[in-house]
Amino acid sequence: MDDRNDHGPESSGSGSHTGQSQSGTRTRIGLDVGTSKVVAARGDSVSPQTEAQLNAFFDVPYSALHEQSLKANRTPFYREDDRLIVYGDASEKFAHIFNANVRRPMAKGILNPSEPLATHVLETVLSTLVPVSRNPGELLAFSVPAPASETGHELTYHEETIKRYLKGRGYTPLAVNEGLAVVLAELAKEGFTGIGISCGGGMCNVAVSYLSIPSLTVSLGQGGDYIDEAVGAVVNEPATRVKAIKEETLDLTRDGGDKIDKALHIYYDKLIESLVDEFGRAVHRTQKLPRNDQPMPIVLAGGTSKPNGFRDRFEKALRRRSWPFQIGEVRMASDPLTATARGALVAALAER
Amino acid sequence: MTAIATGSPTERYRRERPPVSPECGEELARITDDIEDPVVKLRYLQSVLHQEGEKHDLVQLVPIPPARRAWYRLKGLKALDAVADAQEAVGDRTRAARKTARRVVVGTTAAALLFVPFLVAVIAWQVDKWSSAEPAPIASSVGSSTEANATSVASVTESLAQQALTPEPEAETPVTRYPVAEALAEEDLGIVPSLIWLADRGPGWELYSNGLRIETAYTVKGTPRDYRVHSRDGKLLPMRHTRPIGILFHTSESDLWPLEPDYEKEVRKGSEALLRFVKREQAYNYLIDRFGRVYRVVDDDSRANHAGHGVWARGNEVYLDLNSAFLGVSFESRWEGGRTLPITRAQLIAGRNLTHYLRQRYSIAPEMCVTHGLASVAPKRGLIGYHLDWARGFPFEAFGLPDQYSQPSPSVALFGFNYDNAFLRAVGERWPGLIAAEKQLADEARERAISLDDLRRERQAEYRRWRAALPTPDERSLEAPQTADNRG
Repeated sequence: MDDRNDHGPESSGSGSHTGQSQSGTRTRIGLDVGTSKVVAARGDSVSPQTEAQLNAFFDVPYSALHEQSLKANRTPFYREDDRLIVYGDASEKFAHIFNANVRRPMAKGILNPSEPLATHVLETVLSTLVPVSRNPGELLAFSVPAPASETGHELTYHEETIKRYLKGRGYTPLAVNEGLAVVLAELAKEGFTGIGISCGGGMCNVAVSYLSIPSLTVSLGQGGDYIDEAVGAVVNEPATRVKAIKEETLDLTRDGGDKIDKALHIYYDKLIESLVDEFGRAVHRTQKLPRNDQPMPIVLAGGTSKPNGFRDRFEKALRRRSWPFQIGEVRMASDPLTATARGALVAALAER
Repeated sequence: MTAIATGSPTERYRRERPPVSPECGEELARITDDIEDPVVKLRYLQSVLHQEGEKHDLVQLVPIPPARRAWYRLKGLKALDAVADAQEAVGDRTRAARKTARRVVVGTTAAALLFVPFLVAVIAWQVDKWSSAEPAPIASSVGSSTEANATSVASVTESLAQQALTPEPEAETPVTRYPVAEALAEEDLGIVPSLIWLADRGPGWELYSNGLRIETAYTVKGTPRDYRVHSRDGKLLPMRHTRPIGILFHTSESDLWPLEPDYEKEVRKGSEALLRFVKREQAYNYLIDRFGRVYRVVDDDSRANHAGHGVWARGNEVYLDLNSAFLGVSFESRWEGGRTLPITRAQLIAGRNLTHYLRQRYSIAPEMCVTHGLASVAPKRGLIGYHLDWARGFPFEAFGLPDQYSQPSPSVALFGFNYDNAFLRAVGERWPGLIAAEKQLADEARERAISLDDLRRERQAEYRRWRAALPTPDERSLEAPQTADNRG
């Protein structure tokens, strides 16, 4: 049974899932379809409006009382057989109440193969951010990861599923590599030349761009979720609780305090080392690196890169190794959570 | 490298593609620098790369780099039409260049159209002349007897062969020999790793993946690097730096014994004595002996006393504390008879490997790899060339570096340093960069209607002010570092 409804809070941007765009004018959208969050950007490239929705859900057994309660609280949900599926931002609140973990329609950057409700929930989450297009064929650029060498994940199914859904909403979808999207959002002044790195929930994506050409794309199938789960396992706490602590209090410039804090430091370092190693291997393998004498600036984005001190640790790990190009400034994106979506928007706006 | 942004739009933002050539990239970067709006900039780039995609391989066949550059520049400017609806987003400089490019294209086309008939006429006239010309005397003399013919042909062949084997006597007119970089023979044997990493280490040595072996038994720690940089307008920039930004190549100016087995002991003892001296004086960060052994003497994080009052500049940045800002790499050799004595092949290969390693390790730009002789000044006398090591003949090309002898000398162009007859006698010829720097100075004096001497005096005073503004070691130790050094 597909008993989706739209009782969720109205999103702050245009339209939301009511299917109405803000006006009759062309509204291109940049979409970051991340494992942890889906972020949409629209408007112009200088001051885009962005909105986000947690890409997660939580199911509770169906009962009339539960359903009434969810409706009364304007919680977004739909009914699936004998379960009520609470999706988006609200799902995390429910997970906290039940001291359990949310479920994810995506894992490691693509549709979660072990989650039977994956496609359904992802489409529902997308519907909260992508209104039905008023201009059929309007461009919508969405982020896709680079194939992860260590998992060998096939991206076609994931990408085509999203494309078909977006076409059904009246858009012409345009896939943009996630790392490149960071470059498009943050390195315009550098002529879109540099390295964009997006550290998300499910994976980390890197793109080496030369004048907007992605000459090398790399991904690592580990991200914030990996840290949450690994830390949760060693300190015997639910990953959802670890995630909350990580987002609220973690500071990588200070020595780890309690057990969770120390474990977070350890797994952050491990993630950074793995990412730099993976990037180094890819650089070593490729024949496509630009012959550019100028130092390559590096921009970090994504929720996993947000903790204070991440940039410093990453830069140290990077500079400990030798590279066949000069490393320039390593900086954080102006808004790490929305950089990918904003970059996708730039790509959507640039297309004729 | 081949091109570029081909394929459908749905693929261009996600599929890996080979980048454009550096020439194409640099020209497009120049144009896009003048486009503010990110969307217009991206639209322009995608458009020009798509247009250029199919022709890129053909253009790369053109053997003249400036011609390739001119092509990319013209095509790049022409492709601005693709963003014609957003002309206000393009800066004045590029718009003016676009107009000029249009005029050049129209002018060249018109000239070519006029030239073709003229060329055809000239060819026709020349063909007519050749076909009606009388036979050459040698041809007319052939024919009376086969034997005579054979003798004649044999003697001509022999004489030609003789000419080919005998080197031509040197022309009497003196040839101006600029101190240009000497090329190494192309090395096409073996693969070179794209990354250089520490492959192995032991007590007293480190081995890197490009074959570089660094002897570390003599390494000492010195005063930590800590320096500030001036901008060209004379401001002492507040940022303090602790990483080397460049490499300064030296010669050790030490005694050299013949490189022969009979002198084995002297050669070895000479190098050991030199090493002890360099260590005691903390004179260089690296020393490369005549067998190509690389010694790290002063560790990379410390300044060595190698550059004196040298001056170098890049872009808007002017460096006056080269001891701190540059790594000193010295070859066991010396300046003699108006040149640096040739280094050994082993030194050259080791020096090149070391340069590659240091450039990767510290993200050093190629234009920041320079020789002591090009940077050295005598401040009190206002003269360049206080030290002359590698004032000519450094094999920049073999090191994969741009020819720094053709770069305008910053000490002359910025601070009006001069030279005397002794310098000219020692160096023989002014290098092109020195001539260019002097011309810049002279042009400015003319523009400002002041004498060259006055301008030099003014610049020298500025140099003294800039130097005085640099913090002394005591002042440096009192200042807290302001930020991490992130620069390349």
